[in-house]
Amino acid sequence: MRVILDPERCQGHGRCYTLTPELFEPDDLGHCVVLPLAKDVPPELREAALSGVANCPEQALSVEE
Amino acid sequence: MYGENESTEQTSLAGFDPASSDDPRALFEELRKQPVLQIGPGFAALTRRHDIEAALRNPALFSSREEAVKLGNVRPLIPLQIDPPKHVKYRRILDPLFAPRQMAALEGEIVELVDDLMGKFVGRGECDFHEELAVPLPCTVFLRLMGLPLGDLELFLSLKEGIIRPPGATMEEQEPERKRTADAIYAYFGDLVDERRAKPGDDLLTRIMGSEVDGEQLTKEEVLDVCFLFLIAGLDTVTDSLDCFFAHLAQHPEHRRQIVEDPGVISSSVEELLRWESPVPGIARVALEDTEVGGCPVHAGDNVFLLLGSANTDYEAMPGADVVDLRRNPNPHLAFGGGVHRCLGSHLARVELRVVLREFHKRIPEYSLAPGTVLEYTPGLRSVSRLPLVFSPVAEFVG
Ligand code: HEM
Ligand code: SF4
Repeated sequence: MRVILDPERCQGHGRCYTLTPELFEPDDLGHCVVLPLAKDVPPELREAALSGVANCPEQALSVEE
Repeated sequence: MYGENESTEQTSLAGFDPASSDDPRALFEELRKQPVLQIGPGFAALTRRHDIEAALRNPALFSSREEAVKLGNVRPLIPLQIDPPKHVKYRRILDPLFAPRQMAALEGEIVELVDDLMGKFVGRGECDFHEELAVPLPCTVFLRLMGLPLGDLELFLSLKEGIIRPPGATMEEQEPERKRTADAIYAYFGDLVDERRAKPGDDLLTRIMGSEVDGEQLTKEEVLDVCFLFLIAGLDTVTDSLDCFFAHLAQHPEHRRQIVEDPGVISSSVEELLRWESPVPGIARVALEDTEVGGCPVHAGDNVFLLLGSANTDYEAMPGADVVDLRRNPNPHLAFGGGVHRCLGSHLARVELRVVLREFHKRIPEYSLAPGTVLEYTPGLRSVSRLPLVFSPVAEFVG
């Protein structure tokens, strides 16, 4: 599973990196940076990845199997 | 801030104002039967999550420019009343100042402030939560951020009240007080900018003054337009949220106990109570072109209110949104708005709200509304005029 960010949609609500710091972190503006690990999410982080994605109010994050 | 003046006019219209409603959730449920609520000529509200999200994402059609809401200001407030592409330039300099890491660094200081404020009432066994904690905390945090003397607290509070809740039942009646207050705000911050220019400090204001857009520093007027907005966006909203949270918890012991027993639930509780209460129940936009929402016409020039509180409890779009679940996950709520104008202060607000939930329940785990209390919620922005709580007095070690 891979997490994809649409930077045009991200507005820096910060829900993703607060909930799932293993896969996301804020840049200087507080917008989302997807960490390399999210390119191929390890099985133990699948649920955390989905949680980060589903909490984004802008639907800026999505997953691809 | 967000459509305060319209909503006061609206209060006469069949109890429309959701902020002061005893049960905004039920009101919103009723309103969602139609996608567009026609409140009056040239004035409409969007009620459904999907439509509100789409409007937030389309500032070219639903603009937040000055015509959307009048708050006594003589120039557009920055960044609220600036549309893209200029908007992003301002956010690029402001966002780093309010980024999560910067705000997390304030936590220790905020804990101390909450402790000090609580120290004044823990031994008494009762307090007016609104007056003694919800009002002074965000204002004090802001004074410190801006490097201002704490003695300016009362002045600050009167300036924000003069814009948000000027006396008068209609917008016309409120106009003179808003105008007077706005003049006082420009004058106050004007002097301050001159002072900082002569003698820069290590504070937010100095940093804003030193930042550049397109290689040029902000003009004095631009700095004032930012400060004006901070004053009305950053103080009352946190007060409103704290009032709403504690009014809820005082009346729902099962939720209060959940927080006391497991402080790990505090972060998700902040999100859930923000969603449920939506202290900023709606925000103002103006339609720039004729369009349709859910098959209903919206005309160019119409004032359009986006009912965030309704979006946040729209259970058709968000299953289970009609109950409170402090562990809710996912919870992609819109209490801080969405799209380009997403609340600049959201990370600061979250720190303040989390700290109060944690510190308050540590020292006062059991409390309830004082007997006989009837809560009165204010129009426009949902605060509680008085929030008297009773609890067992806490003996404090002085050392
Ligand atoms: C829980 C507390 C808060 C809530 C519920 C809240 C809510 C909101 C909402 C809904 C908006 C969107 C307005 C719109 O799109 O029309 C907004 C914008 C804004 N808020 Fe907050 N806010 C809070 C705290 C703060 C704080 C502490 C600050 C501190 C400075 C702040 C500063 C701003 C600013 C500057 C904007 C305009 C952003 C822009 O237009 O780009 N807010 N807020
Ligand atoms: S939650 Fe969404 S909008 Fe917020 S930072 Fe993450 S990706 Fe961006």
